[in-house]
Amino acid sequence: MTTAHPANGLDDVVHQRVRLGIMAITHQARQVEFGFLRETLQLTAGNLGQHLTVLEKAELIRIEKGYEGKRPRTWVTLTATGEAALRTEIAHLKQLIHQVEQADTVPADR
Amino acid sequence: MTHESVPQANSPQELLASVRDLTRQVRVAQRGTWFPLLVLATVTLLAIPVYRYAPYWDVFDACQTGPEYRVCPAPNPAELAYWTVALTIAYAVIAGFYVRQSRRRGLGTPIRPYITVGVALAVLMTAVSSWLTFHPLIPVPADPSSPADIEVGPAAWVVNGLASPVAVIGLALLVLAWVERHWALLAYSVVLLAIVAIMGAQVIQSSSRWFFLPHLLVPAVVLLLGSAVFALFRRASEVEA
Repeated sequence: MTTAHPANGLDDVVHQRVRLGIMAITHQARQVEFGFLRETLQLTAGNLGQHLTVLEKAELIRIEKGYEGKRPRTWVTLTATGEAALRTEIAHLKQLIHQVEQADTVPADR
Repeated sequence: MTHESVPQANSPQELLASVRDLTRQVRVAQRGTWFPLLVLATVTLLAIPVYRYAPYWDVFDACQTGPEYRVCPAPNPAELAYWTVALTIAYAVIAGFYVRQSRRRGLGTPIRPYITVGVALAVLMTAVSSWLTFHPLIPVPADPSSPADIEVGPAAWVVNGLASPVAVIGLALLVLAWVERHWALLAYSVVLLAIVAIMGAQVIQSSSRWFFLPHLLVPAVVLLLGSAVFALFRRASEVEA
């Protein structure tokens, strides 16, 4: 019997490094503003917007637009699906690291 | 212009390290440790005139009057009323600060458990103090002019601790350390609680009307120092970022 390789469980939407960063920040912050994401991830507004659209279409985040005084604000929140996807991604990454480390300790055939 | 300066992180190790680093950055940005310590130090300092000058309200009818003395076994209910109101206002001010900071920085705040526990402990302190008025765990000597050695068990000190305003401030700070994932604040809160426990174990035999002063002044100074150190530490980490 073969077990599935952890790499097979990686979700391409979440695995992309910028999107994983967006989800990690949003998970810790509970709710995060577009400007904070742009500054922390050092992205252009357009680039960040594209990644947010991908995550929103996959129903991993929720985007709310509003105003604070006269300033327009965009708030991003992780959905329950997003929380689960982030947990799964991190678990798979840890499994991958574990497998690689185990493989490194097995002596190679000479 | 497409400008992506997030480190290229493609291996699982690099991705996990990147997630950890971003999480740490968010936690640092969410912290505002100096402010609660400053507010709580102010509340503790403002208690000094209340302890010294507020007339004794014998609302529980607990005082015993002898031929030449009057013994009131419980603390002045005015002090209890002060702490209940002052702590509730303090936690409301702290909550307001964190919400404003959250809006300014564009981040959510995890402060709710701290505020909830802080207010709950203030209410518990009021309830325990009121209960202790009628069921004192530390016996009051029949003749206050000849104080005898008083032996008190650990359970009595725990219950009395819950009636101590500075102890409930310290216990709530443990929750703040948890929500801010702040190891330095955790260590600081433990030290504050240890100071409160050591001071609470001292039986003061004094006729001075200022006998309470060390019990308020020492924690207030510790809270003020903590606030200054955490504010400096925060500024340094912001400059570093």
